[in-house]
Amino acid sequence: MKSIVWSIALAIGIFACSIAPSFAQERSAIKQGFELAPNSGKRILVLRPSVRVGAQSTGGLFEPNADWTEKAKENIHRTLKEYQAKLGNATVVAPEAYGESAQIVEEHMALFASVSQAVIEYQFFVGNRLPTKKLDNKNDVFDWSLGTGVSELPGAKDADYALFIYNKDAYGSTGRKILQVMALLGPGVAVQSGEHVGYAGLVDLKTGDLLWLNADAAMGGDVRELEGSQKRVSQLLEDFPGSNIGKE
Amino acid sequence: MMLKSALPFLAIASSFAISANAKPAPNPPPYAGIYQPQGVDELGMWREDDEGERRLAASPLVIRDEKLTKYLKDVLCSAVGTDRCNSTRIYVVREPTFNATMSPNGTMRVFSGLLLRMRNEAELAAILGHEFGHFESRHSLSKFQATRRGTDMLAWGALLASMTPSYDSRRTYQSLEISVYGSLFRYSRDNEREADLLGLGYLNKSGLRPQAASEVWQNLIGEIEASATSRGLKKPRFDAVAFTASHPPEGERAGYLAALAEPTGADRDDGAVRYREALSGWLPVFLEDQIKLNDFGGSEYIIAKLSESGWTPHLWLARAELYRTRGHQRDLVNAVQFYSNAIALDSNLPDAYRGLGLSLIKTGDQTQGQAALSKYLALKPNADDAKMIALMLPKEPSQ
Repeated sequence: MKSIVWSIALAIGIFACSIAPSFAQERSAIKQGFELAPNSGKRILVLRPSVRVGAQSTGGLFEPNADWTEKAKENIHRTLKEYQAKLGNATVVAPEAYGESAQIVEEHMALFASVSQAVIEYQFFVGNRLPTKKLDNKNDVFDWSLGTGVSELPGAKDADYALFIYNKDAYGSTGRKILQVMALLGPGVAVQSGEHVGYAGLVDLKTGDLLWLNADAAMGGDVRELEGSQKRVSQLLEDFPGSNIGKE
Repeated sequence: MMLKSALPFLAIASSFAISANAKPAPNPPPYAGIYQPQGVDELGMWREDDEGERRLAASPLVIRDEKLTKYLKDVLCSAVGTDRCNSTRIYVVREPTFNATMSPNGTMRVFSGLLLRMRNEAELAAILGHEFGHFESRHSLSKFQATRRGTDMLAWGALLASMTPSYDSRRTYQSLEISVYGSLFRYSRDNEREADLLGLGYLNKSGLRPQAASEVWQNLIGEIEASATSRGLKKPRFDAVAFTASHPPEGERAGYLAALAEPTGADRDDGAVRYREALSGWLPVFLEDQIKLNDFGGSEYIIAKLSESGWTPHLWLARAELYRTRGHQRDLVNAVQFYSNAIALDSNLPDAYRGLGLSLIKTGDQTQGQAALSKYLALKPNADDAKMIALMLPKEPSQ
């Protein structure tokens, strides 16, 4: 009996696991000694946010939805603009890049994604912490860098920091929701419906150091609606250095 | 019980087989004009794919050679027709394995390893036409939908099985699992067969020799055998279908592709000279990447096949590098011979002098080895390893 339930939980979860990262709690960290006072005259370069929105099929597959993604993209852009004032410092939207500078942007987006995944996996997720980093973790050391190459990013000359934003939403389909209820009522297996992951990071454009990272695997706010995306963005930018977002 | 009632509903696998005695592939269906995605699934997939293509276009893996890309596009157009081919964009990816892929929105990725293995335009057109067939038949979409149907059903099956926990229901669930996964893999193989059929349809209609399609696979079988032999492995089977195989076995494909080729097309041009000409600048680079794969038998086979149209300095150099990097003393003796052959054909190949010098020093011929290395430095004074190589040369007498 036990083994059946186990194999079933495995079967239902198997596709969910392939997309769900192994962090479940909200975490954020800031580089030691870094402070960004409001109205310090620093400029923040906002890079093109990565937004993916879709549904989650009954079996747990991600079903991309073009309409939702477009809506979410627009909502998040609008909200980011509105929040510029609240960020406490001036923001610059990264210019469209061509040719070699487009390659540089792409490489840094990928590098940032890898580095922040590493932070989430090996620092935020306590169970995975490397034994060699025990002392660092005890002292709350947050020391990650993308390297000085970031200064070549288009628009980097006119800014001090770069803000990266990632967002992925999979809304549970009707089938998935029914499965969730039935699995709970029947054999008592917990099935997760929907997946809402996001993270945002601030990088120093001179040194490439990761100054601040906020990751959340269970975000609120429906990004398909303007109001929901305001909630989402304020969650993403919660504890942003020098801002009052999420604190009012 | 549940299994029996579930299977007809599943219906994700249609049987699609091409016999080795099939008639020549029919002409492709008439071109239906520029296609736009339809329905929420397809729109969603294209949206994701557009983003992916945006990243790909800026990826450091892509070889940005306008001439080469245009040549590949021309070959695709000559195979599938100029009206069809404009719905795709070709990206050459520097990746030394035998592959090309097509994604839902018409992004075609051609791996450099494929270009190294093709011997003429007709072979290349066969592969590009096959990939285009996937696009025209919207295979990515139907595959995604089939996977979703299958996994949806498994989720419900798991739920039902756990409602009545018994040995029987567990066993039924496990058979369901195996049949769903099995049929998904079979579905993928059937898609490949369908794309092969379409690809041959294009090729039969084009001005290129359709028999080349089968030769691609015969050639690949030769390479896999050579690779296995040199590693002392059991002879691979080319007729058996593995449970998880995404493509039909090479032997089967070689067989039915030969049957699908229009017999009257056998004396058509296959564009071997044009192909060699177009790839000549990249061949040394692709060979270098192949040698780094550390697949002695496979690389030796590829070099031997390429040398059928005549040995060039770069082919000798590649063969020499292959032997030198394996690095047994006996290999180094052979490498010295091959480097010398390369130098005999082209006395300005710095890398040949470098390899020659290193091999000679290792086989005990210090004087001649150092002479070759100084020649290397003379030809390429700004080489990355110039300082390290200089350490191996006799010191200048100090004042």
